[in-house]
Amino acid sequence: MALLEVSNLNKIFGGLTAVNALDFHIEPGELLSMIGPNGAGKTTLFNLLTGFYKPTSGTITFNDIDITGCKPYQVTRHGIGRTFQLTSIFKESTVLENVMIGKSLHAAVGVLGSVLRTPATRREEKRIREKAREILSFVSLGDKENRIAGGLTEEAQKRLSISMALATEPKLLLLDEPTGGVNLEEISGLIELVGKIRKSGTSICLIEHKMRMVMSISDRIVVLNYGKKIAEGTPKEVANNAEVIRAYLGARYAA
Amino acid sequence: MLTLVCIWSILCISLNLIFGYTGQLSLAHSALLGVGAYSFGLATAKLGFPFWPAFIFTIVISGLFGFLIGIPALRLKGDYFVLVSLGFAVIIGLIVLSWVELTGGANGLSGIPRPTPIAFPWGGKLRFDSPLPMYYFVLLFLVLIAGISYRLVNSLLGKTFIAISYDENLTESLGVNTMSRRLLSFTVSAVFAGVAGALYASYNLVISPDIAHFIRGIDVLVYLIVGGTATTAGPIVGTLVMVAIPEVLQIVPALKTLINGLILVLFIIFLPTGIVGGFNTIPSKFLGLLRRLGIEGHGIA
Repeated sequence: MALLEVSNLNKIFGGLTAVNALDFHIEPGELLSMIGPNGAGKTTLFNLLTGFYKPTSGTITFNDIDITGCKPYQVTRHGIGRTFQLTSIFKESTVLENVMIGKSLHAAVGVLGSVLRTPATRREEKRIREKAREILSFVSLGDKENRIAGGLTEEAQKRLSISMALATEPKLLLLDEPTGGVNLEEISGLIELVGKIRKSGTSICLIEHKMRMVMSISDRIVVLNYGKKIAEGTPKEVANNAEVIRAYLGARYAA
Repeated sequence: MLTLVCIWSILCISLNLIFGYTGQLSLAHSALLGVGAYSFGLATAKLGFPFWPAFIFTIVISGLFGFLIGIPALRLKGDYFVLVSLGFAVIIGLIVLSWVELTGGANGLSGIPRPTPIAFPWGGKLRFDSPLPMYYFVLLFLVLIAGISYRLVNSLLGKTFIAISYDENLTESLGVNTMSRRLLSFTVSAVFAGVAGALYASYNLVISPDIAHFIRGIDVLVYLIVGGTATTAGPIVGTLVMVAIPEVLQIVPALKTLINGLILVLFIIFLPTGIVGGFNTIPSKFLGLLRRLGIEGHGIA
């Protein structure tokens, strides 16, 4: 049984069909990459999957539950975490606070408990803080927990945004260009992190433009163009697909 | 005078919670204040409730009111919420003026009591008829509300409020139901404003529709920006400064709004973080300046 099953998904903005009759699935533990030219509908697809946009038609089934039309926070609670294309973190807060907010959905805290600082609330906050520290050490930011997030390097901010999504304990993690805007030398560290997350049992759906990275780490690749799936398969199959080469990869990939 | 500063400070703390920390600019705070003042006034003067039951009644009504108008208003985000909140402020202002049977209309509502005297264990009573005990009574509430607000925004729950003010979509994507958190913040804010309204009614003994005029919501916003949004002391410092300035300068009331506006513009341009926020940044700016001078010095050497 597939972890995520998308069938006949459509999204129409005014006269523009951003996602067109899309079908695909993600298996448990799989790393699926979404590639395609700019404007192909990749980020729109992420917004549809996570409830930020409502599909015009079609269904999204996750873990055997129909999550079409769920609100973003509900989707997250069902087990889909995401990062955003433009690195989204709370720049004014500390690194630890960022992850704690990501972890807060697992905390039982109320107004009265928070104001009175009841032992139960304090225990809960401590538990969340410890969990957040564990996640920070997983993404190798353990030594930076008291730094203000906005002062980190772009690479560390990417790590932080991934750790925030991880804090929600996703079964499927959607990464929107996790290496965008990062130095070439620093990319390998992020690729390593993606591998590590995958090894821990989380499925990953990746939007990426860096083809060498996509080809080396993906189990399967889905290629979008003008909102339509034009190809799907293993990296090798996709790299040799004539339409993909024409629409996206360019002739130098035809080998 | 200082008693009023305390009451407006409570209202300002209320606005700080929803605007400063949660990022939702509400212009409805005159309405929330008015609902508090009139709930308290009606409960005591018309229904004959003693002070404390009326006070509890006011808290319940204010919270309920905040919750009920929050549900439709907070569905809207950004500027749309600002407009709708202003709409509520105007509507409540009109209702208290026009529903004469209930509110007494422009004549207002009189016969509102001071707090019930408290009996000392050694005999005698603490009465609130004179200004000084009333001032301490209100000050006690200011400290209480400021304390509640401080604890709330420094809790994990409060961190999610602040997160919403920074980036609502990101917060939502982390599994936080941002609509319900904003509604919670607005409801707590409404309770604070209701407390301010009840204290005002009890202090002033009479209330008139003036109390719920929407301009008051904007005045309090100016206090907050001058004092410093999203700071603990900002609402109190801002209120104190902005109430004191016209008093000290002996400005005629007509000019007050003009001066307020001028001060607001100056603050937004030169010190958008307000007085308290400025205290937190000025030292670092000063150090930066020193460092620059130091580097230049080295260059010369």
